[in-house]
Amino acid sequence: MTIRTIHDHGQHYRPRMACLKKVEALVVEMQDPKSGLKFEEQKLVTTTVPHAIAGQDIHAWIVNRLKLDAEEAKAFGTMMVAYGYIYPLQDHKRLILKVDASLYRFQTPYFWPVQHWRAEDTDYAIYLAKRNIRKKGVLELYEQEHYNNLHKWMNHKWDFIVMQAKEQYRAGKERKKSDRVVLDCQERAYWVVHRPPPRTASAMDYGLDRLIDPNAEEVTGERPVIIFNSQAIMRPKVKSTVSLGALVKFSSTFKNHDPFLAPCLPSNPWLTDDITYWELNLPRVEVPTKMRVERWTFNFMELLNDPCGRADFRLFLKKEFSGENLAFWEACEDLKWGSAEAMKEKAEHIYKMFLAPGAPRWVNIDGKTMDITVKGLVHPHRYVLDAAQTHIFMLMKKDTFGRYMKSPVFKDAQKKALSPQPHTFTDAQLEQNARNRKPGIHPIILHQQEEEEKAKLAASGPVDIKQIMSKLDRRTDLKK
Amino acid sequence: YCDILCVWLLGELVVACYRQLSSCVGGSSDSVRLRGELRQTRERAQQLALTGRQLLTARLRDKALPREERLEMELLWVAFSSSLEIFHADMCKVCSLGQNFPLSSRTSALVQTGVQGGMAEVTARALSLPELNRDEPAASVERLEQGDLEVETTRVDQMIEDMEQKVNVLRWTVEARGPRYAEPLSAGDGSSLALLSADAEDPGRPAPYLPVKSPGALGLFLVAILVPVELAVYVPIK
Repeated sequence: MTIRTIHDHGQHYRPRMACLKKVEALVVEMQDPKSGLKFEEQKLVTTTVPHAIAGQDIHAWIVNRLKLDAEEAKAFGTMMVAYGYIYPLQDHKRLILKVDASLYRFQTPYFWPVQHWRAEDTDYAIYLAKRNIRKKGVLELYEQEHYNNLHKWMNHKWDFIVMQAKEQYRAGKERKKSDRVVLDCQERAYWVVHRPPPRTASAMDYGLDRLIDPNAEEVTGERPVIIFNSQAIMRPKVKSTVSLGALVKFSSTFKNHDPFLAPCLPSNPWLTDDITYWELNLPRVEVPTKMRVERWTFNFMELLNDPCGRADFRLFLKKEFSGENLAFWEACEDLKWGSAEAMKEKAEHIYKMFLAPGAPRWVNIDGKTMDITVKGLVHPHRYVLDAAQTHIFMLMKKDTFGRYMKSPVFKDAQKKALSPQPHTFTDAQLEQNARNRKPGIHPIILHQQEEEEKAKLAASGPVDIKQIMSKLDRRTDLKK
Repeated sequence: YCDILCVWLLGELVVACYRQLSSCVGGSSDSVRLRGELRQTRERAQQLALTGRQLLTARLRDKALPREERLEMELLWVAFSSSLEIFHADMCKVCSLGQNFPLSSRTSALVQTGVQGGMAEVTARALSLPELNRDEPAASVERLEQGDLEVETTRVDQMIEDMEQKVNVLRWTVEARGPRYAEPLSAGDGSSLALLSADAEDPGRPAPYLPVKSPGALGLFLVAILVPVELAVYVPIK
């Protein structure tokens, strides 16, 4: 039985969450009047609510039942709280098990997490509207933001949401005071799990939706097995030692540059809402950061893929009068990724400029590759210059790259690179940042800036050896 | 128009009560009586759903509907189908929870959630009765209910699908007219109520298009309708 929402064949399935059923079995065991937990009463201002448990009692029960040591039992208890089977009565936003007298209560099965049903935005909107009524218009900042977003997305349903919130509020009023308190706590706990407050994570976060429904029956029979095995034979194989070695090398080189694994300077904008990091790392910025310049030393491809790095390399090549290699490589990239209509003209232009004998920016390719390329250019396609491009790339990588690393141009770039100070924000400043969030530069504007750069480069004209040589020849002729 | 609005409002009320009731299943206040109350509320909700669907479908398939009324009807349609969807969701949940916490077996314990009171008042509100009669339903009701629930859930699912196929309401053209924030009904709204209660007596007229100052034509009109409904009078639906 499904709660119907969408009916197409895309990625809509939540992954297996086998742990949920197992935890539920334990929770039901905890209820047993003989071998389960002892309940206390929670005393509030006007009422008392039964069925509260102390954290240390839960901990002791887990140690006893599962035969774990104290650390593991605490972790297990925290998992139960994080999934939402038990909720804390004080400090409701931090879902951990405190092994002391702080009180917890069991969540009603209606609000238990279920694998095949997600917490719907409609219900969240109704909850926020109800909370708004109860708190007379004072929602927390992140709740307010969610409310505004939901109002934009679900505008067509908004009358329904407002009316349903009012009706649920009024239906709630019919109940006993203590029951009302309990229901409020239950709902609040449910939404802390499924819509976590900022700077916390939800235990029900599972990444992306999956393509295959884990609850569907498994396909059996011989046909799928045959298809699977024939595909396995066709796959290219690499020795696992080789591939794992490459993975290890990549991880150890780049691990300090990954914002997920190491803190980035000045601060991660996703965590602190401060966009200095993005501003300092724009594609074409005046002064690149130290981390960025360090990445150029890892790999020739890293250098070329970074616009700042490529510009620096171009400057170096200009000084050495060997800019034609980079220009040829860039022209081949343009051909590969460009539009299909301009392909023929581009290929001809490249041939005239770089490959023809006596061309103004002739590149040095070996005879065999030149043969293949010229033959391919009779009927040009996107990848006709691939062999030549690879040859030039390897040439640059083996020869020029090394010289670039030792050159004064690069050393200058390294010296000028800036290393920003890490930010230290207090909680109040973080709230302030969250309020003043600005959108970054629009990608269309970035694309336009790129295009302008390219046009400027093309217009300024290449400096190549032939022109210089011809100028020198003319000068010597004049002198004569 | 007035009759569809009444049906929808009552439906919202019943769906909200059903949600309150279903949040108790498996908890400390679960009992055979609760399951009986769930059944009664569900039946009432299905009754209202059928009526509402017939009225709305008939209205919206009428090609000669004036534009203003069509917009109102589409708004009501979206609201009605949304409440049907969450009712269907609640039914699915109650069905699976009922299977996990069968009251008839002696071994299963209920989760001690801290909820103590009965839900009789909520059910009474749902059924528009001043008070619920207190006779305890038989234990066999529970088994019957489980079996029926699956059938009824598929029936509601079918109803939603049928509705979508018969009438095509483009969700992106529908704009909400009500207020952005929900305010509970307060005594201070008396003046605007008096203004509109005159309109409420006249069932055939379409909703008046009020000036921009007021929170929304539909919103205030709803406020006016709620006053007679809240007096727990069973509105006869034709």
